[in-house]
Amino acid sequence: MILVPEVLTILILNGIFLVFSTIAFVISLRIYKNWDRKSSTNLQYNLEKQSVLAGTIIKYIFLVKLPLFLFFIFTLDKISNVLIGAMCAAGVVDATSYGIYLFIFKILNLYLFGFWLVLNNIDIQNENLPYTKVKFGFFCVVYFLFLAEIIIEILMFSSIDPSIMVSCCGALYSSTSTSYISSLFTISPVVILSIFYVNVLALGLSYYFKHSFSYAIFALLFIIISIISLISWFGTYIYELPTHHCPFCFLQKDYYYIGYLIYFTLFTGTFFALITPFFNKKRYFDISIFFIIFYTLIVSGYPVVYYIKNGVWL
Amino acid sequence: MIELKNITKQYEINKNNTITALKDINISIKSGTLTVLKGSSGSGKSTILSLIAALSRPTSGEVIVDKKQISKLPDNFASLYRRENIGFIFQKYNLIPNLSVQDNILVPLIPNNPDIKTIEDKLHSVMKKFNIFHKKDIEVQNLSGGEQQRVAIARGMINNPKIIIADEPTANLDEKLSLEFIQILKDLKGEGRTIVVATHDPLFFDLDFINDTIELKNGKVV
Repeated sequence: MILVPEVLTILILNGIFLVFSTIAFVISLRIYKNWDRKSSTNLQYNLEKQSVLAGTIIKYIFLVKLPLFLFFIFTLDKISNVLIGAMCAAGVVDATSYGIYLFIFKILNLYLFGFWLVLNNIDIQNENLPYTKVKFGFFCVVYFLFLAEIIIEILMFSSIDPSIMVSCCGALYSSTSTSYISSLFTISPVVILSIFYVNVLALGLSYYFKHSFSYAIFALLFIIISIISLISWFGTYIYELPTHHCPFCFLQKDYYYIGYLIYFTLFTGTFFALITPFFNKKRYFDISIFFIIFYTLIVSGYPVVYYIKNGVWL
Repeated sequence: MIELKNITKQYEINKNNTITALKDINISIKSGTLTVLKGSSGSGKSTILSLIAALSRPTSGEVIVDKKQISKLPDNFASLYRRENIGFIFQKYNLIPNLSVQDNILVPLIPNNPDIKTIEDKLHSVMKKFNIFHKKDIEVQNLSGGEQQRVAIARGMINNPKIIIADEPTANLDEKLSLEFIQILKDLKGEGRTIVVATHDPLFFDLDFINDTIELKNGKVV
């Protein structure tokens, strides 16, 4: 177990979240089973009051969990200083077999928590509480993913052994390595960039025509193609090194923490795009396209600036 | 227009014991009228007021105010409805004893968070109207019963409600002060407000400006 203050903070918060989310889970289950808005019974009245309590608990847990994702990445980065061989968060993620699963759970949960928050926000603004049953039913499912995330997180931190050497990102994201990531580097940048910008264009067209379904599909593709293009091409211009492909190093101070802005804009933009088929609101289209364009401009800006400064591509 | 349709209200004391406060009653109160609910203690007067104010929900039936069903509003919407529509006048005034007159009156404004100018304008207006401006800085515990009643009315009026609900408003007043209070109600009615008074004070029963008197007995309209 590695117990730096940041890990302790995460573990203590996990403990608090676990207690309160379990309380909310029990109430949510009761609400999901017995909710009947048309009924005037005492049970229904009590459920409505309990729904406020459970909704508030879940809301504040998720509201803290969203920025806590960035703190988690920051923590991994911090731990990399004490792990032999690790240069950034990539080494810490690779240090145990749980790292990659934790990352997948965290990103998945990030979207699910966000979806619950939007659902809750729309529900409590309507006096007929149209989504109460759905949102608590949804939470009953998300609770287990949340639980899984907490368990894997504890397992990961407890499995890290500072005395064991880990791989650095230079090795993990090298074109000479044999990992599945290295296969990305065999794809021509022209192909990757073409897909990336065509995807942006498709998102723009879907936005223009307010076609929520295609908008969400292209947003889903955008997450994948953005991360691939970031690793294989855009990242190299952030580092100004053609051989460095790490998706974590640019979260560090040396790169002015630009990675936080990159991931924030990517996740926020795609999140709001993904929820448009469920809540077809112009505001969600606007927020998502703003962040997607912002993301595109940031990542595109690095190669352009590099080319202007040096007159060549990497 | 306030409509109570097929209202039954039961209070659950415990799992095996319920008290029926209202039994399948139907009441209709037109806007801009003054209605008196009369009946002995326990007849269901206060329950009707609490239903109109969305302070409680009927066990069955509907409460409709200005074509809007308010009997199933979630708590936060019920609070908003009360804040925007209802002025309360209670038997025991329900003032905060160690706050001044003006501080007591402005309490209902707090959730709206208006600017200072609006607060001052509204305060000045209601304190003048109910003749308590000269006592504005005095703690309400040092006022007479009649003055406290006027503070309570001013507090009920500060949000300019369409509906005024008064529960035994003259129970703690002598006859002179009760008549003064009745005059205030007459003036408020003249402003077009809907007033519902629950009382068993005989002073109310023969007033010429009362539009309707509803007598209740054992939770039923007589």
